[in-house]
Amino acid sequence: MIEYFPLSFYSLCLSSKMINFANGLLAEQIFQGIILASAVIGFAYGLIIEQFGWTVYIVLGGFAVSCLLTLPPWPMYRQNPLSWQPALPETTGETLQKPQENLKKKKHK
Amino acid sequence: MNTVLSRANSLFAFSLSVMAALTFGCFITTAFKDRRVPVDIHVSRVMLKNVDDFTGPRERSDLGFITFDLSADIKPIFDWDVKQLFLYLSAEYATKSNALNQVVLWDKIVLRGESTKLNLRDMKSKYFFFDGGNGLRANKNITLTLSWNVVPNAGILPLVMGSGHMSVPFPESYETTKSY
Repeated sequence: MIEYFPLSFYSLCLSSKMINFANGLLAEQIFQGIILASAVIGFAYGLIIEQFGWTVYIVLGGFAVSCLLTLPPWPMYRQNPLSWQPALPETTGETLQKPQENLKKKKHK
Repeated sequence: MNTVLSRANSLFAFSLSVMAALTFGCFITTAFKDRRVPVDIHVSRVMLKNVDDFTGPRERSDLGFITFDLSADIKPIFDWDVKQLFLYLSAEYATKSNALNQVVLWDKIVLRGESTKLNLRDMKSKYFFFDGGNGLRANKNITLTLSWNVVPNAGILPLVMGSGHMSVPFPESYETTKSY
């Protein structure tokens, strides 16, 4: 059961430094940083040697490196696992809770 | 961002947006450049004939033959946003029936990386110089100019006229050659 909040919620929490997110957010920061860096380098290089083809090649190279770094599930993304609640035994109170949770999830999506 | 597919999706979309921004940057760095270059045109021979023009219903039309020399250095126009140049030589003149006539006599495509020093001697026109009627005979002023169309990698396609032209008068009668 994974909660799926919109990205703005993540960045809001990150800016307030209240919650340490793991997994997907680290990967996203990594690839955004790599692609932006390769874009800046590529743009400068292409401007200097006057060939836009090189800019494209450098950005594609950055894309390949990011793919390699962020797509496969490396161990560095599993540093802070979320601590799941232990499974509760099935009771009538539990079944009453569940439909409410489902409603909340759908609304946030 | 918990599955490979969602990370791949996010990565790919981000890369495309960055690529689009870079292409816009490429366009904006060369958008306001002046792409005119001095051009030297010289005409060596002009001949005039009066022939049947089968493309129109009129009787007989004037057909001009021009032999020209062309020299220009178009290297300053090429930069990282230019893919190729389409050069064309056009003749402009006025007749009794039309105030302005423009005819393209010759063209050339110059790709980026080819030699950019144009030094052409004794070139014949590629296309027929027909006038719809008899407007070329004894015409005092026919102006030849070289223009080009810049084909970019990203952005607008400007149409630029080279600075330099040559005006020649055409002969008074047919089938005679006039040398300059």
